[in-house]
Amino acid sequence: MQDAITALINSSDVQGRYLDDNGLDRLQSYFRSGELRARTALNISANANTLVTQAVAKSLMYTDITAPGGNMYTCRRYAACIRDLDYFLRYATYAMLAGDVSILDERILNGLRETYNSLGVPISATIRAVQAMKEVTTDLVGADAGKEMGVYFDYICAGLS
Amino acid sequence: MSIVTRAIATADREARYLSHGELNAIGDFFETGEHRLQIALVLSKNESNIIQKASQRFWERCPVTPSNSGNPVFRASCLRDQTWYLRLVAYAVLVDDVEPIEKIGVKGAKEMYDSLGVPLKNVAECMRCIKEVALDLLCFDDKVTATPYFDYLIQGLTP
Repeated sequence: MQDAITALINSSDVQGRYLDDNGLDRLQSYFRSGELRARTALNISANANTLVTQAVAKSLMYTDITAPGGNMYTCRRYAACIRDLDYFLRYATYAMLAGDVSILDERILNGLRETYNSLGVPISATIRAVQAMKEVTTDLVGADAGKEMGVYFDYICAGLS
Repeated sequence: MSIVTRAIATADREARYLSHGELNAIGDFFETGEHRLQIALVLSKNESNIIQKASQRFWERCPVTPSNSGNPVFRASCLRDQTWYLRLVAYAVLVDDVEPIEKIGVKGAKEMYDSLGVPLKNVAECMRCIKEVALDLLCFDDKVTATPYFDYLIQGLTP
């Protein structure tokens, strides 16, 4: 697990160098966006349940997937779905705070597509739900922070497809 | 590991979001970020200058040491190691944690220098010289920030 700072240090150390100008610029903008990141993380954590509910309502709830025969039919499956969306939101928030996607690979994406395929969870519907979560999150936190969160939601989608 | 990663790892173990207190601490870290970035820049921009002065000071204090024996390889290795350690201090200042120094530069250092026949107390003295020379380049606030990392390094290399 790493963040924007440790990621740069790790890659510089392998080359035995100080940070180059590009690295310094990235760190500077990371530090400058820090307050926004911390504030956004707090905002999301206070509204996490609502965000998941809204995302499901927007993308899955009124489609065939929740009807008999669909993959979200039965409460147990519905619960599993919102639990996973909960995870996605929490890890996307971690990654946004860290300014680095590595935690998404480590904790979410490794083997997830294979797991979903073997369980028969439809990937396209999952991606639709994550995209809906991106939209409702942006509505909550505003355009700037929403754009940054979008990076990590999109990364999850890219890792799934 | 920065305070950001550490707080995330803790929260993740407990499957929760970061608390208000944790986010406040991270906010402080972000706020002091540019200040720490400046210190790292001073150290990196003045590297050769610092190492040159520190070496002179070191050889005055420890004249009998492999790098001062006339062997050019030993001398070059000593200078190279000094640049490495200064770089690790710059990393540590940047991330506000001793981990880079500990993980890359201190763990195994005693065994390594022992096997190379370099007296460890001389290495520690050399680090003290780097610290003195480097701190001279920093203003008071920056000194306060950077000193603990140099001290950690010296302590870690003290036999």
